Amino acid sequence: MKFNKNYIQTFIFILVYLFGIYFWTQPLQERKLPYGEYDAMSHFEVADYLAYNDKSFVNLPPYIDLRYGLDNKFKPHTLWYPPPFHTALGIMEVIGNERVVPVFLLNAIMASFIIITVYFVINSLFGFLPAILSSLLLIFSPRDFMPYLWGQWPERFAYALVPIILYCFYKYLIDKERKPLFLYLAALFLGINILIHPLAFFHSVFGLIVLYVFICIKQRKFIFSVKHVSIAAVIFLILFMLFPYQTFNIFPQLFSKPSGDQNKQSLDLSRLFQWSLNPKDYAGSVPESYFSFTEMHALWTLPFLLLGIILLAWRREERDLFMLAWLVSLYFILHRDILGKASFLHRSLSASAHIFAPLTAIGIVYIASIVKHPSKLNKFLKYGLAVLFIYLALTINMASASKMLNKNTYNPNTQAGFFVSLNEQEFEASQWVLENVPKSYNVTLIGIPYQDNFVSATAKKIRWVAAASQHVTRFYYLLPNKENVVKSPDWYVMMDYTMVGSLNDKATFDEMQLFEKDILANHTLVYNQNNIRVYKLEPKK
Amino acid sequence: MSLKNNDSKELIAFLIIILLVILVFSYVLFGAIGIRIALGIILMSLPFYIVLNNFSLLDGEKFVFSALLGLTIFPSLVYLLGLVISFRMAIAAIFAVLIILVILLNKIRKK
Repeated sequence: MKFNKNYIQTFIFILVYLFGIYFWTQPLQERKLPYGEYDAMSHFEVADYLAYNDKSFVNLPPYIDLRYGLDNKFKPHTLWYPPPFHTALGIMEVIGNERVVPVFLLNAIMASFIIITVYFVINSLFGFLPAILSSLLLIFSPRDFMPYLWGQWPERFAYALVPIILYCFYKYLIDKERKPLFLYLAALFLGINILIHPLAFFHSVFGLIVLYVFICIKQRKFIFSVKHVSIAAVIFLILFMLFPYQTFNIFPQLFSKPSGDQNKQSLDLSRLFQWSLNPKDYAGSVPESYFSFTEMHALWTLPFLLLGIILLAWRREERDLFMLAWLVSLYFILHRDILGKASFLHRSLSASAHIFAPLTAIGIVYIASIVKHPSKLNKFLKYGLAVLFIYLALTINMASASKMLNKNTYNPNTQAGFFVSLNEQEFEASQWVLENVPKSYNVTLIGIPYQDNFVSATAKKIRWVAAASQHVTRFYYLLPNKENVVKSPDWYVMMDYTMVGSLNDKATFDEMQLFEKDILANHTLVYNQNNIRVYKLEPKK
Repeated sequence: MSLKNNDSKELIAFLIIILLVILVFSYVLFGAIGIRIALGIILMSLPFYIVLNNFSLLDGEKFVFSALLGLTIFPSLVYLLGLVISFRMAIAAIFAVLIILVILLNKIRKK
């Protein structure tokens, strides 16, 4: 059977995307254990609760409420994001019939969905070559895979909707018959966008406004239909009202007064001439490299990126205006601090590669067309430059990305992952707690370093124990009322000896032994496996 | 993904090849769980693909849009029903209801 060109191109894209999934899921392939920073825990907790307890919930369970109870300012103690994203993960947990791999695998697919949507949109507007090059470059975009690893899960997926919303709106605007289908689809995806993450939603709104202005100027007419816009508004509002507790949460966030730091940033007008932000303003939040063009995109892309922008601005076809509107809207979003809205500004920077990658690919592919050559030479030049693009992407971008994202990322057996992620024994003990300890009981841990120089790292480990065990879990030595805790029948004590050996921490080991002998001797040992012991605080039976 | 050729036999053959590649890839990396996830995404997206198939959209548009709708609208409905019945039952019920609705809509459109 002979397949047509479109099928072959799609097949090549599928192979590239699957390679992307391979690349992004490396931490999961080696160890079927949860990983990520604080946000990752929260998203895992919500999805896992739905699936494991076989029910949806309105009010947060205590172990989630402890940290996130006040994140929803409109309706405290309920979900702070609308539930579709986490429910999708929960559904996969049910279908996959396992707690970790389905959640993390679907999340990888959703976080990397931008590769699919960028390929689809660029292929539709500019053809296969710029589209496949863009998707290849996006696989190695640290501003995409780093937040995915850290835990900004819904935000990653929400950004995948931005090009789709703009594409649908663009198709409506350029349709001479002005058929409303694509406007309704744009409204539908915009509604979905806010159900996933408000940051990407505002990006989409700015994109729609800029695109509308650009196309109206190009067509020299005011495009407006009361009927179409009214129906589109109804579609959007239906989705907006689907989870009002969560979607209404954007209002208190929008109208809250900026903090002192944000005010200070908003006065800096020189920012108008910069794309990125000052790394010093985000020290401790994200690494300095996150703000570096060289480290995030590689310097070789810069001339092609600029060339792509110049080419589109020079040519100004409708599809060129689409790309420029996308770029300009990101510029607006990245400079909203000028208007005093600086919260999560650095997170908007994570959308840069989505527009930079295709502009770079367009720049390199269209170099050949700038100077008139004989047709054969033109083709040779075009494909030669595409090969150069692939070579540079693999040798520079992939090589650099592989240092950040590899099988040892969040590996508990390495120095970097030792303190922050659960080891196999800790996950098994947490699973035992989940299955055997009633929900109303809390767990306190001894053995995980709690001292000042450790606690910022090990706090992540203890939160993962809470997530995996679905119980409120605290450091014993940091409890304000620990003397009362050991007398209370509402607590279990977990003695974790898995770390002290590796740390060669004899003092803590001796202290733990003494604690077991003096304090826990009269309580019931209910779990004793793999150097972890769990005691129920009640007199021995 | 602008699959403009609408020859359905060729499209089906192509989709089977793609599906096999994805399933083999998923199995090699994640075993049976990988296969379940791949099939799960397809099942969640299927009702929306059938609906979009009624409109004059490109094949690529139908695939990408239905995947996005499957990963968002389907879970929204499951979550809401899961407030009343078991979460697992809600998944099955929403899938069944959507498929029945889509078939009914198709029949009404044909009439």
